[in-house]
Amino acid sequence: MTSLILYCAIGVGLLVLLLLAVLRRPSRPEGSAEALLEAKHALRTLQLGLLPQELVGRFFARNDLEYVVANAPKATERLFLEERKHIVLAWIDQVRQQIASLQDFHFGHSRHFVHVSLASEIALAWEFATLRMVCRALYLLVYFRGPYGAQQIAGKMVAIAARVCALSEKSLAFLSPAESDALVDDSARGGAPV
Amino acid sequence: MTALSKHMDVQAASRDLRLRTLSFMAHPLDRLIYLASTRDYNTGLYHHDGLASRFSEEVACEALADCHREAFHQLFVSSLEDIVIQLQGYMECSRIDPLDFIAAWRGLKPYRVVVPAQTDDLCAEFLFSNLRIALAILESRFRRTPPAAPAASPHRSPGR
Repeated sequence: MTSLILYCAIGVGLLVLLLLAVLRRPSRPEGSAEALLEAKHALRTLQLGLLPQELVGRFFARNDLEYVVANAPKATERLFLEERKHIVLAWIDQVRQQIASLQDFHFGHSRHFVHVSLASEIALAWEFATLRMVCRALYLLVYFRGPYGAQQIAGKMVAIAARVCALSEKSLAFLSPAESDALVDDSARGGAPV
Repeated sequence: MTALSKHMDVQAASRDLRLRTLSFMAHPLDRLIYLASTRDYNTGLYHHDGLASRFSEEVACEALADCHREAFHQLFVSSLEDIVIQLQGYMECSRIDPLDFIAAWRGLKPYRVVVPAQTDDLCAEFLFSNLRIALAILESRFRRTPPAAPAASPHRSPGR
């Protein structure tokens, strides 16, 4: 009986691996360089533009709410809550987009540039899945309860996103800042003067 | 001019600008509006004759752009309460009737043109939202307690 269960478990395991192999998106080297630059851009946007503590702290600043409650009429308070909600939802959307872009690169193209072990790939997949789930939960929470009812989960999302960024940064580290800056400078040449 | 020497010139020009001009402006909002006014809307380039004569047009332009970004950042991280104080200070300096000022800012949204180039949309929208709330708070305050007549005779806007 025990050996039957063992064989069944092995069989199910093999079946799952086979399914994963079949469902895994085919990866082509064409367009990989573009995907790499997009991933680098997404990482930079997340680290410098969307996740800094200063920015997130301002979006969820409770002292602003307290000030409005104490100093403004009800209509202004409603306007304030509506506008903050709108901004926080836009912020979550942007984080989700950049995370999706990073995820696409990692599962679609990264193996053309770096060797990623199966264990790392599974760990990263788990982090991405958790992050996307938390993003969705945060979006719903902010949508229904407003930004001030979701501060804790927002902190959680930022922490997971920072972890994912750190993992991604390691796998994108071979593209040195000097090289990527040169690429960005080249593309920006002829653009806005200031 | 090498990149390093240009960078050092820009730093020196920024210091000069802060010392001689910006230090006389108490709040980031004042500095933001002033610096945005030195920018040509058609080219996006900044002009400052005094700074350009001491350094060069290009260096002055970059120094102004740097200080502009800095003022935006300082205003962005200001609390809502602080923004209300800054806006009230700016409004009082303009010597315009507060309710006229608020109506003009509501209608024309002049704050929309004061953000530095390449500012992230989300950050700009956040600042605009804070300014809208600050205007609403000031309006309710001035409607409750009408201010004393300003010292100089105010210019009435044609809309009112």
